[in-house]
Amino acid sequence: MSRLSILKGVWLMLVLIIFTSSYICAQDELGVYEHLDEYIGDNLVFTDEQFNEINLKQSIDKPTIISLVYYECPGICSPLLNGFAEAMDRTDIELGKDYQAFTISFSPTEQTPLARKKKKTYQKLVTHGDTEGSWKFFTGDSTNINNLLDQVGFKVKKEGKEYIHPGTLIVISPKGKITRYLYGSDHFLPFDLKMAIAEAAEEKSGPTINKMLKYCFTYDPEGQKYVLNFTKISGSIILLLAILLLGTLVIKGRKHKKINT
Amino acid sequence: MTGTSASQPSYLDVTKGLFSWIFTLDHKRIGLLYLYTVGSFFLVGVILGVIMRLELFNPGADIIEAQTYNQVFTLHGVIMVFLFIIPSIPAVFGNFFLPIMLGTDDVAFPRINLMSWWLYVIGAIFALGTLIFGDGPADTGWTFYAPYSVKTGTNVSMTVLAAFVLGFSSILTGLNFIVTIHRLRAPGMGFNDMPLFSWALYATSWIQLLATPIIGITLLMILAERVLGIGLFDPAIGGDPILYQHLFWIYSHPAVYIMALPAMGIVSEIIPTFSQRTIFGYKAIAYSSMGIALVGYFVWGHHMFTSGMSGPSAWIFSLLTFFVAIPTSIKVFNWLATLYKGSIDIEVPLLYALAFIFNFLIGGLTGLVVGALAADVHLHDTYFVVGHFHYVMLGGTGFAFIGGLHYWFPKMWGKMYNKAVAKLAFAIIFIGLNILYFPMLILGVMGMPRRYYDYLPEFHTLNQVSTVGSWIMVTGLIIMLVNLFIAHRKGKKAPDNPWNGITLEWQTKSPPPLYNFDKMPKLAKGGPYNYPNAKNS
Repeated sequence: MSRLSILKGVWLMLVLIIFTSSYICAQDELGVYEHLDEYIGDNLVFTDEQFNEINLKQSIDKPTIISLVYYECPGICSPLLNGFAEAMDRTDIELGKDYQAFTISFSPTEQTPLARKKKKTYQKLVTHGDTEGSWKFFTGDSTNINNLLDQVGFKVKKEGKEYIHPGTLIVISPKGKITRYLYGSDHFLPFDLKMAIAEAAEEKSGPTINKMLKYCFTYDPEGQKYVLNFTKISGSIILLLAILLLGTLVIKGRKHKKINT
Repeated sequence: MTGTSASQPSYLDVTKGLFSWIFTLDHKRIGLLYLYTVGSFFLVGVILGVIMRLELFNPGADIIEAQTYNQVFTLHGVIMVFLFIIPSIPAVFGNFFLPIMLGTDDVAFPRINLMSWWLYVIGAIFALGTLIFGDGPADTGWTFYAPYSVKTGTNVSMTVLAAFVLGFSSILTGLNFIVTIHRLRAPGMGFNDMPLFSWALYATSWIQLLATPIIGITLLMILAERVLGIGLFDPAIGGDPILYQHLFWIYSHPAVYIMALPAMGIVSEIIPTFSQRTIFGYKAIAYSSMGIALVGYFVWGHHMFTSGMSGPSAWIFSLLTFFVAIPTSIKVFNWLATLYKGSIDIEVPLLYALAFIFNFLIGGLTGLVVGALAADVHLHDTYFVVGHFHYVMLGGTGFAFIGGLHYWFPKMWGKMYNKAVAKLAFAIIFIGLNILYFPMLILGVMGMPRRYYDYLPEFHTLNQVSTVGSWIMVTGLIIMLVNLFIAHRKGKKAPDNPWNGITLEWQTKSPPPLYNFDKMPKLAKGGPYNYPNAKNS
């Protein structure tokens, strides 16, 4: 093995150690640890508000937005669900047709009747789409809850009767892949929601307009929202025009102009 | 193109009156309009520069206060960069000579050409308007670095608008030249038969076309932030100041080549003419212009080594910066090889071309010093950088511009200047330039920061030397201008081909007729610089 290869190996090890250690340290803390591009397992079984035992992965056949809350939360859960409902109401894509929503309680003590009651409250806020069939409110046991929380990187901590937890919507693709985390405690932009759903649906080749939108907007992990990629768009336009000009000039060739005397 | 035709009037005599000039569609007249406006702004920039040097003659506030000093160096930078150096050679000599060198009667879009000049004038009015309107000229430096440019109370908006409008002028000129070169070359003139000045303009035009929109958009973003409060660059409202620096230098570094490439084009014209020798490595010089234009796009990060940049990014940018030296050196070696064993005729244009090589060598090599990571940390934002870019800009482009003016003066006006006085002026300008800028390199190494009206006592002597240099240089410039002015008014009639050149502009009358040629120009056999053939024919 050459000296260069050994050096490269050492560098790689160092980088891995640094990344792994920071990852391990980070995992101990409360918050959201994005598991983008990972798939949720097929071992997640929860009970919906109709008392049906449902395997999450098997029931995901379209882009699905998961909101993790607990129903008796005195803190950010209600504003989060209000904001989510408001965004669903304001977006022009259809619940049930373009996507579905799962609200899942991460408190193992909460039961189906409470889930049903919460559903009635929140589904009134969405005036279009199939809120009855496509916005499900789940409860589950601690094993399934912990599995789910681990798989999506959602760290909560119980303090007394309450939980300290982050607020986020998690977008899952039709094949069960985690494609986006949408952050916010009480407000989500309908546009962000639409973009995230379009992105999740891409496995089924979404409409062209959404692809265009996806090109023009990128997800800003720091600001945690979609932003217009100004530089990318302007750069592309400039290059495109330049190529067009060069192409035209090359094709048209020389003009034999008479000297006008 | 017709074979022969009746003799046409000179472009200077076709029509008279102010309106026949400011609404002219003739590329030669537009070139002269640019010369007069660009030249005027050069003089304004020189005056501002001299004011700064006078202020720095002694430490402390002598003739202007700190805030005024900040505004003066900003205005000096904006005028010199946007109103003088960037448009200078392409807009003046490019407009005047490109169609003639290509053997055609005008640029591809004469009306757009006129519009470019008007946009230039409007941009200039905006830039000067900052003196009158608002809270005075911007005090940000010509780079308009955010977030200061977003917050300062001075009239940044108007200055930025000026640069934006001037950018459009630059883009339109570039577009015009590209189309002209592709579409209007004389029959039989392939790309590899074009004079090297045309090649340089071609490379420059692509940079103007591709890079200038970026600065336009960036400057609009500053306006949006200042006027509408949109958080783009100011971290206080969610912006990113580093983003601004990236966007700014993505344009402004290639812009350095907008300034330098046409200058190299002029030197490539002057040297073979005054050596009476085929240029050495025609294709190498031509393609290295394109090479510089291309590589020049990928080196902007070297302006930001101290702004916060990852290690790998920094060394990649540093490495790419060193790559630019390769095509530049190719040109220098080819010029020297052309001179070797040539029939050298030491005329004024050649003196400026040789001085260009000397000055550009200092400017280029000091550029490599600041392009090196470790050295740059020490030298960044010191007078070393000021010395470096003045050697490149004035010592390089400025000298090529003046050299070009002396080279083509007899063709443009049909008059000849006093060569002895021109040589004297050259000597004074050359000495003055070096006395003015070389001490800045030393001051920078000693650690004197740029953009301050004041300095520590240990920098006193060298600052005084530098200021004396500015007086010498200005004296030389005045002698040169007076000499050219007298020549313009009552100089001896110049022959059509005073330098025995063989590119097409020397085949027409001095001054050229309205449509450039009375008869079809003949292309030199074996390329545009094939002197032995030309003599034999």
